[in-house]
Amino acid sequence: MRIWLYYFKNAFINMMNNRLIHVISMGTITISILILGSFMLLSINLDNWIKEWGGTLSMSVYLKDGVDEKVMGEIEKQLLNIKGAKIKGFISKDQAMMQLKESLGGQAGLLSGLKNNPLPGSFELIFEDTDDYHIEPDKITASLEKMEGVDEVQYSEQWVERFRGVIFVFRVASLIIGGLLCVAVLFIITNTIKLTIYSRRDEIEIYKLVGATDWFVKIPFLIEGAIQGIISGLIAYLVLLSAYLFLSTKTIQILDLPVIDIIFLTNKNVISIILLSLFLGLMGGLIAIGRFFKV
Amino acid sequence: MIQIYRLSKSFGTNIALHDIGLRIRKGEFVFITGPSGAGKTTLLRHIFGSERPTSGQILIDGINLTRVNKHKLDLLRRKIGFVFQDFKLLNNKTVYQNVALALEVVGERPAIIRKKVHQALRAVDLSKKEKAFPLEVSGGEQQRIAIARAIINDPMILIADEPTGNLDPDITKDIMVLFRSINLRGTTVIIATHSRELLRDTGQRIIVLNQGRIVEEIEG
Repeated sequence: MRIWLYYFKNAFINMMNNRLIHVISMGTITISILILGSFMLLSINLDNWIKEWGGTLSMSVYLKDGVDEKVMGEIEKQLLNIKGAKIKGFISKDQAMMQLKESLGGQAGLLSGLKNNPLPGSFELIFEDTDDYHIEPDKITASLEKMEGVDEVQYSEQWVERFRGVIFVFRVASLIIGGLLCVAVLFIITNTIKLTIYSRRDEIEIYKLVGATDWFVKIPFLIEGAIQGIISGLIAYLVLLSAYLFLSTKTIQILDLPVIDIIFLTNKNVISIILLSLFLGLMGGLIAIGRFFKV
Repeated sequence: MIQIYRLSKSFGTNIALHDIGLRIRKGEFVFITGPSGAGKTTLLRHIFGSERPTSGQILIDGINLTRVNKHKLDLLRRKIGFVFQDFKLLNNKTVYQNVALALEVVGERPAIIRKKVHQALRAVDLSKKEKAFPLEVSGGEQQRIAIARAIINDPMILIADEPTGNLDPDITKDIMVLFRSINLRGTTVIIATHSRELLRDTGQRIIVLNQGRIVEEIEG
């Protein structure tokens, strides 16, 4: 225990003695971790929005004119059997016309020339919890369109599917950039510790002369790496949190949009970021003492 | 205590030590002398374990330095004190902290460290300067700090490489008196020097090196 106190004390003293180099190093690491965290935040929010929009995936099942109640009952039964689907309502031909008139407002007179109502009746479906099972709207559409009395099926998810593709590309790009950033962080920490090893080589020699073991001299450098990593991780987290709090309120104020839910990283994500920073710090320290420690 | 058999050391094509055979008994006071480049420092570094011989064996207190692993060598060094011409002190640490270093690295308890550092500083007559930094004291005092650091672990061997090389004659005398008093307490003392002044009327054993070979041994 006492020896660990000594290691930590030594590591802190060394960091204070070489504070400029450590501040620059931690600043750079913080920026790298911040970029990594931003990608994570963006990815989580995109996922969340997809989930929300996916949850409101809607489908309109348009019926042919003159469908009798028996056929409508069959269709309704079939719709209720679709996994995840809920019937939001049935819009009759007359209701559809009324809705159209309402949406046209002052121009509704245009419709007065129509002898027959051309609008079809429709069942409106919504799909929920698309994460639990994979909904294949194409297949559902194809099978419904084969049914007696069904004229056409339209759904709102095609663009969501396309968006999922974009997110996949984004995720792959994030992983590549994240990997490169981790390598950069390792490089920075390794070099910072290399410099402090050089600046303390006389001291290291003296420690060895009085009988210090290799690890006695090396451990404070590892602790330095870990401290650099963890402090950078914490600062990156705080900056990310502040930016999130600032931007999330600004978006609502400026655009006056119905709130787009911007969510922050989960505790698990935050712990992952800090642990990753700690890991990179320790690894940087290990590489530095492995490569530059000649005693 | 120290047994050296057929020790040779080459740095590339340059032969630093050639076929050295030497025995130093426990509690002995030995001078190693010779001109610059004779191999004095290289021999001391071999005894300290900071150089590995090209051939030959070195036994310290029965431990063969050529076969011992790095960790055991580190532990063995705690039983050997080393004093250098250039003192090798940490200028950003106080006199007290410099001396305490040798105990801190072995994980000694703070109370014991305090007690032993005070004892060592008293032995070298530096009790009043424990809070000073090395650059605030004289060359002779800096060497005494280094000696205090070297003896604080009660080493069985004290090695000094040109310990008075940077000091004036009066201070040299004081330092030599200090070495003798340490030797009287039972510590084996080996001093490398090229100073003839220092060797005059010592009454101690003198080993003369030249071009990496022992050319003469004068018994004390």
